[in-house]
Amino acid sequence: MKTAYIMQKEIRESILTPKGFLWYIITSMILSALSYLFLTNSELSLLDQGQMLYRIMNFITALGVLMGLVFGADAFAGEIERGTLEALFLSPVDKGEIALGKLGAVLTNWGIIFAISLPYLFVVGKGEQNLLIGIAYLAILGTFLAIIFSAFSMGLSARIKSMKNSLIISFFVFLLAGAPIFLSAAQRRTWFGRILDFINPFAGAINTFDNVVIDSQGFSYQAGRVAIICGYLLLSLWFLKRSVSRLEM
Amino acid sequence: MIFLTIIAYYTSASAASRIAASINPPFIQANMGDKITYVGTITNNSDRAVNNIIAYISLANVTPGKEAPLDLEDWSANKAIKVDTILPRGTYEGQWPMRLIDSGSYVAYITVVDKNDNTPLSSDMSHLEIKRILRLNPNNVLPVAIGEPVALGMAFMFVAFRRRKWVK
Repeated sequence: MKTAYIMQKEIRESILTPKGFLWYIITSMILSALSYLFLTNSELSLLDQGQMLYRIMNFITALGVLMGLVFGADAFAGEIERGTLEALFLSPVDKGEIALGKLGAVLTNWGIIFAISLPYLFVVGKGEQNLLIGIAYLAILGTFLAIIFSAFSMGLSARIKSMKNSLIISFFVFLLAGAPIFLSAAQRRTWFGRILDFINPFAGAINTFDNVVIDSQGFSYQAGRVAIICGYLLLSLWFLKRSVSRLEM
Repeated sequence: MIFLTIIAYYTSASAASRIAASINPPFIQANMGDKITYVGTITNNSDRAVNNIIAYISLANVTPGKEAPLDLEDWSANKAIKVDTILPRGTYEGQWPMRLIDSGSYVAYITVVDKNDNTPLSSDMSHLEIKRILRLNPNNVLPVAIGEPVALGMAFMFVAFRRRKWVK
């Protein structure tokens, strides 16, 4: 109940504001441009529909992770810098509930991004046999990644207590995690690329999308990667819990 | 005498005389996005088997002002075929399915490489004319691409208006 209250407060302050809406309008405009480009550009429009769907899914996942990191960096350090954390600590809500409420707000943000992206996914993937299963994987793995990266960023924000620093570190982590997007296929086949792919939950998710949407592979092929992502999920929640329990004013 | 025979064998057994390559059909006219298949036939004209040869398709853009060889990455899934053996006087038929990505005039040809010969062998050229197709609203993307940002913008204005009213 108290967690729900904190979550509502966060949603009111961050999402249901003109500023929050502006993010979603921009998200929607970028997705509009991307979908239109995919479907009308002479070369891109002739890509396999699975390829187009896969690329849009990657973009949506990256956007969800990025926004989760920014929300997370602001969660505690932002409150400290605005001088509002003391008031929050004086309320009869314990630190764990505050963290959970803030995490709930980040997940709501991811849910909105996912909902905004649905019409685009249906348009781009129209007639594609793996569209629905791809969307299901995006919903599940996207949620896991949103939790992993935002919980990490929130934990960092609670430990560092400086929004600027936690944001910079979070962006570095995002760039490292997003490396598979920037590396060529040949670079990803090197030993370094393979290790990075193996230990990186973001790479795990996009490789799973690739296997499911483009290669039509079943869950048994994805189980290893999903298990690693679940491992990171638990690890990030543990990190958040531990960081928040040590948080002092 | 034996020496002369060996020289005669090797000179007559160069790739050009031992192997012949052809491509079919010799001319294709199609639209962007169509899928076509080229069939390459490699014929072994000698009395000895030909082993371990590689055959691949090449495409060159010959549209005036755009002349360049083409990277077939998006056009064709299997660019090179390794042929283990072609029996004496036998033939091998390879298929190259292709998706036509861009408009223009092109020529396609099959090249056969035998590691025992220094000279690669190419087939005649097949001419390919691809007509441009302009699709302005594929998959009915426009209503979503325009409608969704507009709908979110309206929701944004509604929230901003309510907030301002609430603050007053």
